[in-house]
Amino acid sequence: MIASRLKKITSLWVVIVLLLFVISIILGILMRLNQGDVIQLSPVTFYTDMTVHGLTMISIWYVAGMAAVNFIMERYVTTSKPANIIALVFTLIGVLMLWASTFIGKFHAGWTFLYPLPFKEMLKAWATPLFLFSIAVLGVGWLIWCVSLIAGMLKKYSLAQVFAWQYFRKGPKTETPPFILISMITLVGIVTCLLAAVILLVLLFAEYFSKGAFVNDALLIKNLTYFFGHTIANEMLYLGLAVIYELFAEISGKPKWKTTWYVALAWNCTLFFILTAFFHHLYMDFVQPEGLQILGQLASYLASLPAAGVTVFSIVVAIYRTKINWTLANLLFFIGVMGWVVGGLGAVIDATISNNFVLHNTLWVPAHFHTYNAMGNVLFSLGFFYWFSFQFSNKMDDNKLSALKLFFLVFGGIGFLAAFYIGGADSIPRRYSNYPDEFPLAKTLAIIGGSFATIYLIGILLFFVNISKRCVKILFSRSS
Amino acid sequence: MCKNLILPFILIAFCKFTVYCQPTSGWQEEVNIYKQIYNAPITLINGEQTSIDKLAEKKPVIIALVYTRCTGICSPLLLQLKESLQLNKNNNNYTVLVVSFDSRDLIPDMRQMAHLFNLNNNSHWNFAITDSINRLISSIGFKPVWNNTIKQFDHDALLVGVNSQGYISKKLVGLRNEKELELMIGSINNVYTPTYRLPGQNTLFSCFNYNPITGKNKPGMGLLLIALPAILSILLLVVINKFVHRKEEV
Amino acid sequence: MHYSILVLFLILAVISISVFVYVFLTSKSNDNQSTGMANALQKRFWFILILLVILCIFASVTIPKSPYYQFADKQPSKVIHVAAQQFNFIMSNNAIDPKSPVGDAYITVDANELVEFRVTSLDVNHGFAIYDPAFKLIAQTQAMPGYINRLRYQFKEPGLYHILCLEYCGMAHQVMRSYFTVK
Repeated sequence: MIASRLKKITSLWVVIVLLLFVISIILGILMRLNQGDVIQLSPVTFYTDMTVHGLTMISIWYVAGMAAVNFIMERYVTTSKPANIIALVFTLIGVLMLWASTFIGKFHAGWTFLYPLPFKEMLKAWATPLFLFSIAVLGVGWLIWCVSLIAGMLKKYSLAQVFAWQYFRKGPKTETPPFILISMITLVGIVTCLLAAVILLVLLFAEYFSKGAFVNDALLIKNLTYFFGHTIANEMLYLGLAVIYELFAEISGKPKWKTTWYVALAWNCTLFFILTAFFHHLYMDFVQPEGLQILGQLASYLASLPAAGVTVFSIVVAIYRTKINWTLANLLFFIGVMGWVVGGLGAVIDATISNNFVLHNTLWVPAHFHTYNAMGNVLFSLGFFYWFSFQFSNKMDDNKLSALKLFFLVFGGIGFLAAFYIGGADSIPRRYSNYPDEFPLAKTLAIIGGSFATIYLIGILLFFVNISKRCVKILFSRSS
Repeated sequence: MCKNLILPFILIAFCKFTVYCQPTSGWQEEVNIYKQIYNAPITLINGEQTSIDKLAEKKPVIIALVYTRCTGICSPLLLQLKESLQLNKNNNNYTVLVVSFDSRDLIPDMRQMAHLFNLNNNSHWNFAITDSINRLISSIGFKPVWNNTIKQFDHDALLVGVNSQGYISKKLVGLRNEKELELMIGSINNVYTPTYRLPGQNTLFSCFNYNPITGKNKPGMGLLLIALPAILSILLLVVINKFVHRKEEV
Repeated sequence: MHYSILVLFLILAVISISVFVYVFLTSKSNDNQSTGMANALQKRFWFILILLVILCIFASVTIPKSPYYQFADKQPSKVIHVAAQQFNFIMSNNAIDPKSPVGDAYITVDANELVEFRVTSLDVNHGFAIYDPAFKLIAQTQAMPGYINRLRYQFKEPGLYHILCLEYCGMAHQVMRSYFTVK
């Protein structure tokens, strides 16, 4: 039924993502331990780690969401396998280039590479162009993938159907599955932010190759940087949501969810809000016009409506007083939604301009985005990975380890995040390799954070071993 | 059709881009901001004796420092100021005070200057001399230097904005466009703009140009670049849609 | 420590987690059999509306408190010029020449006087964050090359105030700091 080639590519994705995830978590733990004075890294090493940690995490959870969406989309439309493989190859090359520019060339401008920092002294002169090229390679691979999926959907559904516009009229004749609607909305958003990255890179390369004859505007570049950076980090969560809309009911043994008019409306609105919410990264740049700042706050608030108002309530209502076949997969989805809500609360607090005045670039920022990544998006993808790896084996889940794995993830995650939140409220800056003595809590919190992150890592390793064993089996199974 | 419009637009943007503006020393405009200006006694060309503070109390003042024997920047400065203020119809709450920093200038010299620019009967404009030139220019931070070989002062073209309380709220060095003049008029009327741009930077690709009179930001070329990804992705969507369905027909 | 923000967050987080746990428990008990809805995406309209109203109230309360509107109609009695560069802050009572930037060794402002900081950067993006004597972050703006951000603030308590860089600016970002005194 499902092409065995897609099965193999997807399992390759799963193994690669989990492997890179483990490496990135270790980098993260090293950073926290350095901040806690447990180990001593040089500041350049620390910031290099930070750059790799950030960009690798963004990359892998983005491609994890894409791989999942691609796999499920095959149920509705034919997807292009070559595009999938191209994305895989480009992602691997991009990550290798990234590692070369950072670990060898010591590029350490952070994954947001905020202009003009990348053009300042790095250890090796080639580090900056190589880093920018690695972004370009990743971007091109992902753009091809997105465009191929969009083309696949448009082959079957008309432009109006794919955005579920027929639901705005009475008695819609054709159906658009929620999965298709959300995938489309998300993919269009991703294409847009990747195009922003293209413009950003063109401007940066123009300055680099003109050797300073052409100078960029710092405000414009900052806008473009977060257009790309914020939006892709946000959209990858929605890829996970698309999977949940499709799989949650199915795994729980319930009838499939169907699109309704306000689900269609809410997700169409999201497309706009998500593309303007990035302005909240520039609240403290008073040069940005007030209109855009307020638009940033409103869009950040409203972006939560379709997400929270539709998805969260739907999940809650779907479960309330209902017999559910709880497996590890839908439990992961459920806990993931919970983590996502909590992270969203932290985000809404920070997206309020008057709070941002005292929270911007403190540990509150990593606190909230780690919440909806480590406790949200990662769990969505793990849920999918788990479900996927069991799809093609006859063996049933051994429940012995399930509770333990979840315990490690949740317990480790909560402790790790609490250290961030308390640090943020205590005004401790983010992105500091070492803390000044005036923050008495900072080092303790860093050690606590690092320790709990290690517990989280153990949980991930258990998943990794279990899931990748099955995925490797799928990978090397004879095509049937 | 949209694509036909956008592509040339981008091209123009990129061509213009290569014109690079040299940075000037705009930091001088920050000197003595929010310092009280020296309350110099002045004599207007109609013979009236007054002082800067008294003038400012009535309406905020834009001071232009010139001298009549100048063969350089003074005339263009006044001419451009006149032109720009004529364009500005929005906020009339200011007066211009043209005051000489050359002790050789007397009332008849200034009267002739006013006549030359056809400003002698303009209620917004005052021409004056003062006998405390040195204290006035040092309170502003203005430093003209006498050049003996050409018998002229080496000096900047300078406009000083003074609010009703007699504080310097903004300065403009050099010949500047009417937008920046509007910024100055806003500033002397105590309109708060959270930001200023440093002059002399490449402003071509800036996202916004603030207009203090309307209190709005006019979109700059940079804003187009921020909107561009969204426009392009919509176009891309339409193109993919067309492409996919054309294939089907064949 | 900004306790109010932390407490607000904790209350909201605990409420939402409790709802999730409660709902989860109802699905585990055996006495009910599939009373859930066939299509979970139906009848969510009221939830969205309530959420929208809550968010609108929250926005209309908080937006007027944004720093852009603070002290906007007042005349500052003091201006401090700040030029940030890798990896220090140059602060001066006078304007700073970017070609030969020099600052004052000591900056002092009076308590309750309205101070305007004119913040710019000479190289990369920096943050200009003011910490009170107890090291609590009380105000900040960004230092962006080519732009001057004006931050107005009235310091109530006398003491030594610290300035930290809050925008990652390179390998010595964590030691980039300065201070001033409020009398």
